[in-house]
Amino acid sequence: MGRIEWAMWANEQALASGLILVTGGVVAVAAQFKGWPFAAYAIAAGVFVCLLEYPRGKRKKGSTMERCGQKYLTAVVKVFGPITRNYYVRAILHAALAVPAGFLLSTILGTACLGIASAIYLLAAIRGEEWNPIEQKPQERPQVGGGTIKQPPAMPPPRPPADTRKKPPAEVAGQENPIPVTIEAE
Amino acid sequence: MLGLGLCISRASASVLNLNCSLVLLPMCRILLAFLRGSQKVASKKTRRLLDKSKTFHVTCGVTICAFSVLHVAAHLVNVLNFSVNYTEEFLALNAANYHGEDPRKLLFTTVPGLTGVLMVLVLFLMCTASTYAIRLSNYDIFWYTHNLFFVFYVLLLVHVSGGVLKYQINLEEHPPGCFHPNTTLQEDIPVAGILEEPFPEYTPEPFQAEPEPFVQNNVVRICTEEPKFQSHFPETWLWISGPLCLYCAERLYRYIRSYKPVTITSVISHPSNVLELRMRKENFKAKPGQYIILHCPRVSALESHPFTLTMCPTDTKATFGVHLKIVGDWTERFRDLLLLHSNQDTEILPNFQQRNYPNDDWQCYKLRRLYFIWVCREIQSFRWFADLLCMLHNKLWQENRPDYINIQLYLSQTDGIQKIIDEKYQVLNSRLLIGRPRWKLLFDEIAKCNRQKTVGVFCCGPNEISKVLHKLSNSSNSYGTRFEYNKESFS
Repeated sequence: MGRIEWAMWANEQALASGLILVTGGVVAVAAQFKGWPFAAYAIAAGVFVCLLEYPRGKRKKGSTMERCGQKYLTAVVKVFGPITRNYYVRAILHAALAVPAGFLLSTILGTACLGIASAIYLLAAIRGEEWNPIEQKPQERPQVGGGTIKQPPAMPPPRPPADTRKKPPAEVAGQENPIPVTIEAE
Repeated sequence: MLGLGLCISRASASVLNLNCSLVLLPMCRILLAFLRGSQKVASKKTRRLLDKSKTFHVTCGVTICAFSVLHVAAHLVNVLNFSVNYTEEFLALNAANYHGEDPRKLLFTTVPGLTGVLMVLVLFLMCTASTYAIRLSNYDIFWYTHNLFFVFYVLLLVHVSGGVLKYQINLEEHPPGCFHPNTTLQEDIPVAGILEEPFPEYTPEPFQAEPEPFVQNNVVRICTEEPKFQSHFPETWLWISGPLCLYCAERLYRYIRSYKPVTITSVISHPSNVLELRMRKENFKAKPGQYIILHCPRVSALESHPFTLTMCPTDTKATFGVHLKIVGDWTERFRDLLLLHSNQDTEILPNFQQRNYPNDDWQCYKLRRLYFIWVCREIQSFRWFADLLCMLHNKLWQENRPDYINIQLYLSQTDGIQKIIDEKYQVLNSRLLIGRPRWKLLFDEIAKCNRQKTVGVFCCGPNEISKVLHKLSNSSNSYGTRFEYNKESFS
């Protein structure tokens, strides 16, 4: 369990909570419940949370799957610098946004879910995680050989034979299999 | 009292009943493996269907989420209506304690309300942790939260025992719409209109035949006693108890069976971070294509991971083996335990469970020729099975069947320097190609050489390759060759 990145899970939770808030708010406003201003607030807060959480942050290790079309929102979120990068800020922000929605019945579940997301963000912040934008990879040069060769040879011919070329000393050549391999007769 | 909210919540509850019971069934893996391997289920279609059990489980899960949203929304409206439409006339039907009671209080202080809220939170945690991105990057979160399903089921069993839903038991003595001589009618309910107003929560079947005679006769029956109501029997218990018992039995069986010891006979280190583990266990039978799940309590008490068998036990030799790639923290710790602390008494032996038959379908093909295509990133990776391949090739050469196996090795990433695997593997060196395989050309060539035959395609690799191969297998070719696609799955 040592290398869990909590921020990714908190991100999913916050996105889902935003949607729950919007749904609850829409139901209350449409049915004109008593106290529907809270519902209108919930819709606005839900939309804001969704927009903020849509771009996924970059993982520390390995590649991160981007959400569809997230690069536009990444550019916007990146602009705010440390406010969006720090997860303590996000934890407090989500906790604060969640509270007013708790006064109306239909948005109460959104409050609970956003509260949980805020707690997980706090955990992520304590463990030192940060939001880093996923940058676009540089344009790859046009593929040679129909895309089958990933890296064409760097040196032009004639290329000297293998043993005279500078090669990083790799493993010892000729690994001996300690246990002889046999083929089982079927 | 409740109107539409009742209908939607009851309907979605029925769907949820069905799905909550079905979702457990694909996870009874030993039962599925037994069904898949038994002689009675010989049809290939059934076996392929059983292979998709994980997809079925995911579908049921998604349906549970979708209908829970509907169910919760409808019940929130119901709670509001219980409070607003508090009726003095039929006190037993009320869920609220007085008119205008705060619906939030109703939600949190009644048993169904509270368990419902907790179930939503558990479901929320489970769903957000089950997305593809999380499973790919942090499998642990998915695994540990998914084990909360047990809490979910306990809450569900309590949720339906609340007894809020009631039906009338003395319909004979007090049919709906009857005239009670001693009470004054409420002003806004005209006598004739009583018949149309739907009575909340009564079983409608006995009433269906009645309405017409009442109106035609123009006689209103006199009721002899007050209506009595009784709670519905929670039918969810009937739906869920079967699969839940089956699943618990299976877990118990797995636990008991995993107690037989496994002896590790050797650990071999291969290049490119691969470890080969050879083990022995009594009465263990396996066929090629199966996988085992290793569980090592010393490394992690809760985690267990599947590995395809690379060597199966035979009649003459009981040793079987797996190759593991050291990629995450579990495998790293496992390797350290095996290599560094190997002088300790190996009691920490991995318990394991033998599992499904992902690529078992090769048995139905009469094997004429085998095309083995292996794509690696580093040249040293080919050493994992280089000996085996060379020996197989030599054996077939001696038996004068050189075209039985067609080996093609591809090195997808090269730094420009010509490399060979090793001098003693000349057979493989001459079959080494630089660059990724061009699947379309390969398929065309295989189709041309095997006209009008059926070719089984077995893929073990990342999803991108799998999609390409699947598409190519399903597309038609001009030689009349049929390709059947199979993918390795650890479901």
